[in-house]
Amino acid sequence: MNPFALAWADLRRARWAALALIALIAVAVAIGVGVSAQERAIRQGGARAANDFDIVIGAPGSQTQLVLTAVYLQEAALPLVPGSVLTRVAAEPGAKYVSPLAFGDSLRGQPIVGVTADFVTRGGRLTLADGRVFASDEEAVIGADVKLALGQKITPTHGASHEKDAAGDGHNHEGVAYEVVGRLPRTGSPWDRAILVPIEAVWEAHALPSGHAAGDEKIGSPWDGENVAGVPAILVKAASVADAYRLRAKYRGDGVMAVFPGEVLVDLYATMGDVRAMMSGLALAAQCLVLVSILIGVLAVLSARRRQIAVLRALGAPRGFVFAVIWLQIAGLVAAGAVLGLGLGVGAAYGLSQLAEARFGVALPLSIGPDEWTTVAIAAGLGMVLAAIPAAIGYRQSIAAALKADL
Amino acid sequence: MAPALCLDGVRLAYPQPGLAPMIALDVPELAVRAGSRVGIAGPSGSGKTSLLHLISGIERPSAGRILWNDADLAAMSENARDRWRREHVGLVFQEFHLFPGLSALANVLLPLRFDHLRVPPEMAERAKALLAEVGVASPDRSADVMSRGERQRIAIARALLRAPRILLADEPTANLDAETGAAVAELLVERAAAAGATLIVISHDQALLERLDVTHRLVAGRLVGAS
Repeated sequence: MNPFALAWADLRRARWAALALIALIAVAVAIGVGVSAQERAIRQGGARAANDFDIVIGAPGSQTQLVLTAVYLQEAALPLVPGSVLTRVAAEPGAKYVSPLAFGDSLRGQPIVGVTADFVTRGGRLTLADGRVFASDEEAVIGADVKLALGQKITPTHGASHEKDAAGDGHNHEGVAYEVVGRLPRTGSPWDRAILVPIEAVWEAHALPSGHAAGDEKIGSPWDGENVAGVPAILVKAASVADAYRLRAKYRGDGVMAVFPGEVLVDLYATMGDVRAMMSGLALAAQCLVLVSILIGVLAVLSARRRQIAVLRALGAPRGFVFAVIWLQIAGLVAAGAVLGLGLGVGAAYGLSQLAEARFGVALPLSIGPDEWTTVAIAAGLGMVLAAIPAAIGYRQSIAAALKADL
Repeated sequence: MAPALCLDGVRLAYPQPGLAPMIALDVPELAVRAGSRVGIAGPSGSGKTSLLHLISGIERPSAGRILWNDADLAAMSENARDRWRREHVGLVFQEFHLFPGLSALANVLLPLRFDHLRVPPEMAERAKALLAEVGVASPDRSADVMSRGERQRIAIARALLRAPRILLADEPTANLDAETGAAVAELLVERAAAAGATLIVISHDQALLERLDVTHRLVAGRLVGAS
């Protein structure tokens, strides 16, 4: 038995309708695949970007905003943590390294963040791609995506990228300049677009105490408690998990708020997960609707093809042949739509990831996981099972009645 | 040797809700010699097509026996009748019933696809030869774009492909102009004779009926005479 030639000839004859059906199924499947793949990519990319941020300490307020600003560099005016807290945290024995994070300046939309040398190398984990770590308050290290050359001098603009004066520009910190001395490797995080300078440089640019005794050109901790200005956030890399929990507990209350970014992200993803569940449900409903619509369409077409099927039977075609011709056509369309949908969904998710990376600087690792394969398998499997309905109806009709009917 | 046909007490009745069944066909007896050429004529609605459906096994009678030699179609299951028809009968329809999207050759070879994954090369050669014999010069051209006369020739080649011992034709010239109809009629009768097949033709076409050995006349589901 070889029903393929006839099934293919029929599909080729109705190629535009067939292509429209494939496109319809593909779009329905792509929505499901895209939502699922994108959500996982956001979760994994977000978690990877937060890897180095064990504990973030800020002033009491929104935990989510503190994490979004400190970890993902989303611009927001955070209330300041007193400098005395920074001094205390820096002296904690359970902290592998501590770095204040001072935002507020930028260069052509790229944030300039005041940090410590330990933060630049993430406590020695990162090796610079080029140059060296800053050694004075007039030097800067740039992220992998900052388009500056080593040796280039830059003047910071006061205010974040969205804060412009009447002329449309932020005002420059006159007399403040940094020389780019190093470039970090790509981390797949928003920090790839940041310019890192010593925290002391940021304080000085804003006419605040330098954190050290007058005339002391030293950068980094320990800071002199008398001369330490407030900072929007403090990053703590804990020496151990136990230390991390101890430090978080210690710096909660009394005007400070220590958070685990991972924990905040989990809460955020839980909310996002609800949205994802809703989107996935909608996508599934769309797939079912498309499959049922196709089934109804096929049954309508089947009625128009009653005589053709009857002629096949009259010529002696076994029921299995008739069943196979009809089933192959519908199942073929559904399978093609499902596979195309997988490609479209992944393609759309990839496009969105690229946009997200360009906009937020977070690399979103895209992959096809079990959820996506399941979506495709359900769509294809359901289509193949449903295809049996018109196929069975096709071979059960009366040949004589169909041959005599005025079709 | 072509089989002989014998109808014995054949009736075809359709149930009618609340009424007695409608008798569409009532043929107490009909015998067709093996290898003969027989016509069935009669007015529209007289039951000619129903008779053809019965003797081809497409439809099962409500009562009686339809014997092709020893094979009683009335006693066979639908699957068995499909198989029997596939193996023994060549069918030609009034409206040709070729399959759109397939070439002339693919249409002729279609019945082989029912039980072959690949068409045996000798059958492909036979199909080409048949198409040439019935006057279709372009076997690879789509049947959709051919003239009605050409399409009926393709349908005859399709019916002849398996060298059936029974050829059944339902108004094979009704949709053709007089000249083409005459050519198709001649082709059908000649090919049946050459194959030694029993030919049964339903037709209003007097020219075609005159080429046959005998024509039975059917009126209101009953045979009323032969000429």
